[in-house]
Amino acid sequence: MSGYDLVDIEVTHESADDLLDSLSEDGAEGDHLQSIQAVRLQAGQPDSELRSLKELDENSVKLLEHQVDAAYRALFEMDGKALLADEVGLGKTIEVGMILKEMHFRETDESVLILTPAQLAKQWQAELREKFGLDFICNYDDEFEDFDAHDYIIASIDTAKSERHRQTVLDRDWDVLVLDEAHYVKNEETDRYDLIDRLAYNYAFFLTATPIQNELTDLYNVVSLLRPGLFGTRDVFHQYFVNSNQETLVNRDELQDRLNKVMIRNRREDTDIDFTDRTIDTRTFEPTPKERELYQAVSDYVKGAYSQDQGQKLVLMLLQKEVVSSPVALKRTIEKRLYEQSELTHADELETILDLIDEIDTVTKQERLLDIVEEARDNVEMGRVIVFTQFRATQQQILDRLVSEGYTVHAFHGGHSSSEKEQIVEDFEEEGGILVSTDAMSEGRNLQFCNMLVNLDLPWNPMRVEQRIGRIHRIGQKRDVFIFNMALKDTIEEYVLERLYHKIDLFQQSVGELSSILSRLEESGTSFEDQIFERLMNADSEVELENDFDAMAVNLQEQRELADKLEEFNSGVFEGFDLGESDD
Amino acid sequence: MTDASITVTQSVVEQFTERYLRSIGCSIERSDDHWVVSVPDDTDTEITHGRHTLVRGEGTPEDDSTKRLNPESAFFQRLLREAGERSPSGKLSIESESDIEIPGWIQNGAVEVQGAQFTPYYDRTAIVILFRVGIETVSEYQQELLRAVAVDARSEEHLPRLAESFLERTSIEANEVFAGNSQLAKEEARPLLDAARDLLLDGIQHRLDEIHQEASRAADSEVEEYRQMQQQRIQELQEEHSNLSSKIDDLSEKINTGDEDSRVQALRERKELKSEYEELDETLDELWERRDSGFPERQREIRERHSLDVKVTPLTLTEIEYERGEVDFELIDGNINQTVTLGYGSGIGVADTVRCSACEQELSEHNPIQTISNGLECRSCTE
Repeated sequence: MSGYDLVDIEVTHESADDLLDSLSEDGAEGDHLQSIQAVRLQAGQPDSELRSLKELDENSVKLLEHQVDAAYRALFEMDGKALLADEVGLGKTIEVGMILKEMHFRETDESVLILTPAQLAKQWQAELREKFGLDFICNYDDEFEDFDAHDYIIASIDTAKSERHRQTVLDRDWDVLVLDEAHYVKNEETDRYDLIDRLAYNYAFFLTATPIQNELTDLYNVVSLLRPGLFGTRDVFHQYFVNSNQETLVNRDELQDRLNKVMIRNRREDTDIDFTDRTIDTRTFEPTPKERELYQAVSDYVKGAYSQDQGQKLVLMLLQKEVVSSPVALKRTIEKRLYEQSELTHADELETILDLIDEIDTVTKQERLLDIVEEARDNVEMGRVIVFTQFRATQQQILDRLVSEGYTVHAFHGGHSSSEKEQIVEDFEEEGGILVSTDAMSEGRNLQFCNMLVNLDLPWNPMRVEQRIGRIHRIGQKRDVFIFNMALKDTIEEYVLERLYHKIDLFQQSVGELSSILSRLEESGTSFEDQIFERLMNADSEVELENDFDAMAVNLQEQRELADKLEEFNSGVFEGFDLGESDD
Repeated sequence: MTDASITVTQSVVEQFTERYLRSIGCSIERSDDHWVVSVPDDTDTEITHGRHTLVRGEGTPEDDSTKRLNPESAFFQRLLREAGERSPSGKLSIESESDIEIPGWIQNGAVEVQGAQFTPYYDRTAIVILFRVGIETVSEYQQELLRAVAVDARSEEHLPRLAESFLERTSIEANEVFAGNSQLAKEEARPLLDAARDLLLDGIQHRLDEIHQEASRAADSEVEEYRQMQQQRIQELQEEHSNLSSKIDDLSEKINTGDEDSRVQALRERKELKSEYEELDETLDELWERRDSGFPERQREIRERHSLDVKVTPLTLTEIEYERGEVDFELIDGNINQTVTLGYGSGIGVADTVRCSACEQELSEHNPIQTISNGLECRSCTE
């Protein structure tokens, strides 16, 4: 690349006097050979292998060759500054987990900052803990104080750049910076870009499946953050690599050579990842008149209370979720609200709800669940089924019911110790039957020996749904997987399922695909759960609610199409990181 | 130029440590995960005398008497420093009985070698120097290279193949007996060392060029960034300039129309603003001038900061005795035999270039010998 004013080179020759003086000294036989070997060893790289690999628990994480290779190259060949740009779904998080594990093993990670889109922060935390035994605090944890109070932090990039935290983040010298969905910092005029540009760190790993969003300049910006100067100035980069008339690439070979120093991109077709089929069976049931009445009462209460005090959002959201899970789950929260929090303004309404709960003797979902597990008993190996619910009360009630029907059951929730959890999974594998689990199971545990899963209730966060499915439908699952979703007609759950999840084909998406959709969505500022709740609260009529959900679905679909297009576009540009024939 | 460094694995660490410790008079009792080393009082070493426990791999943390033994452990690094400085010069003989090297153009060809005979005519001396090259610039990580350069002591001829042989014979597995102390005098060695330095720089030129280009690119982008920043500043100052100008105009208007008190006040204010205006004018002029000349000082500063600092340090010097003479290769191709006689050196291999009898092209491992029926003919001539 011509046109540069070259910087000076200064060559200094160190004195050879000592060496020449040694010619006249006597040495013992063999000493000189040892001196040569010692000098050669001093110059050698310490055995660069991933030494922490053998410490990983094979049951928690199954490493693939391309992931190990990427971690190795990022650490040892790119000096710890790399853009991990695998295609969607190939496990970039795993690659970073391995890198961080290795750095931890080598004690080069005194302070680590992982910046992610807000929706993915907790998932990162769970994956690093469960798969790699690495404990990070997340900015959404209650214990989180500030960016100078902890050494291992996962935070949403927007929290880090907020006025409140920005200076604290910048005042610190970080050992390691990880930036997920790095394409969101492509625009050098944004606060996000500015934050990353000013951060001080020794090692950095940026992740994206789509380094190029619109134009090649995006790649320039992201790479320049990681390795300033690698591409020279913006203008020179443009003149040299982009044919401005035709908007095509020129000097591809050199671009590829340069990118090779900092970017790793694996393609799906180059790996041995192969998933079995997934069959989704969504069953919507007619609630009993009593259940319908209860649902209506709770919804009216929630809407009324929210319109008066939006500060109660979390607990109101909880009630709205519990009412479709089971009356017993709802009951506990209502009682708590009524008796422990001296909730007086709506006491009458709450009392009525309690009365309605007591009147329910048939819980439709639980009855219908029996049909599903009965089918499983006949068709699935050892009748193994996992039933997921978000609530402990629902879990207990289902367990009791199943036992009374003579099923072998196992319970799994967050209250168990790690060894108890392991024992439960082991028992489930050996004895078969039904494992009733809360979402505590979603994190990290692999249950490939089971291939049937029931969502008794549905989280409003699609990542959680995918995490549940991911427990059984993952690399190593040899059979087709069956997912049953249960919902009551005319409830929020039906809307979420029918209008949102099915429209974006949620149940067929991989975690990677979902995260790219969700982080795109997050650009608009609100979380998925919040959006659902707000729509539910603000709609004045059934029709309006339907329209609202449709609008959200359209938005999601657009994001999905955009994400797909981008992925396709990047695949085309990089073609397995072989940028193809030069146009010039 | 081949990399002379040796990758430091755990087994290499243990092999070297054991050999070195025993060579300086220590005794070692080995067990599965640790060694107990006794360092006698009269041993010439920086390692504390007495008994030590060396824990293999990543075992328990260090205390006074327990040390870790692994590629990155402080103990091993200290050992390397000590061993490296112990005897940086010496002598090595490469005897003629070593296996005769068959050149690539025969090995890859279709003709077989039935016999090879080396006849040494005279002894020669060469030196091999291990150089450490440190390359530093602000935009790249500091890089350290280790390179071996061999030159003939009399002709100063560059002997890259001899440097390769030297590296092979000094690998960790090698247990070559060294022939003792070098006989070279300091005055003889100095010009050879200078010649080796020049050859070294030639050999790493390509690598230096690459780093040089990258550093220049980084400097360039910093200059550009600075230029943009200054351009932005100029725009801001220009705006301020024009604001001041309109404020001064407003005040002038007031002076012409207002009553006495406000006129005096306006005059005072205008004076202040005018001086501010002039200062700004000067700053802008200066900035324009610097911009038009391309910010030469700043450019120089940035380029100086990005400049490449290359430090060359000779670490070991080995005198090598080798033999030169001729080798006879007895070649066989079906029923045809032919003997080829070529210049040869121990540790150097075949020293002559051989050409195809038909096309005169040089025989090489990529264009090897194909037949000897009509002299030595290359593959491209017979295809």
